[in-house]
Amino acid sequence: MIDDTSLTALIRAEIPDAQVDIVDRTGTMDHFNVTVRSSAFAGKTLIEQHQLVYATLKAALKDGRVHAVELKTLLPDGNGHD
Amino acid sequence: MDMTDQLQEEIDREIAANKILVYGKGTKTMPRCGFTLETIQFFEGFGFPFEVVDVLENMPKREALSEMTNWPTLPKIFINGKFYGDTDIVGPMAQKGELQQILLETFGHAGEPKTTINLH
Repeated sequence: MIDDTSLTALIRAEIPDAQVDIVDRTGTMDHFNVTVRSSAFAGKTLIEQHQLVYATLKAALKDGRVHAVELKTLLPDGNGHD
Repeated sequence: MDMTDQLQEEIDREIAANKILVYGKGTKTMPRCGFTLETIQFFEGFGFPFEVVDVLENMPKREALSEMTNWPTLPKIFINGKFYGDTDIVGPMAQKGELQQILLETFGHAGEPKTTINLH
């Protein structure tokens, strides 16, 4: 279980310009839809963008604070990848 | 050979043996996670053979897979030996037609989705 602020902080610790939108899918605060916008995704493939975000959530996923994430990554101007 | 090597060998063997391989929670007939079910339904729509390996209870193997892919969640999809993340990745690829192209090249023929026969 993790709150939106803490989850956003984990992502921003590694991706400082990240704009993070979080939806709690189940009401249990551990299954999330997460949308991240960042210029750090420029020039990266979709899978690389997701790997970048997952790296920031590695510990939280491992210790169970987060169970499942449906992830969406976007560039700040709106569109995703390539 | 230590356990990590054994796990890696097992994973390599499974990936080599299946052109489409999903590591998930539960089996193909009894998925035990919504995302695993979603992935199974996704691939059923393409009509190519695919395999699901249940790693729900196998923490060391899950750990090895996560390290290998830099991807901490399940399911994990491999096509033709290459890691493709999950449906958040292959979904958009399918919308753009990229996945169909990869599958066509991987199998060398078009998929055969199950057809429904309507008897009126």
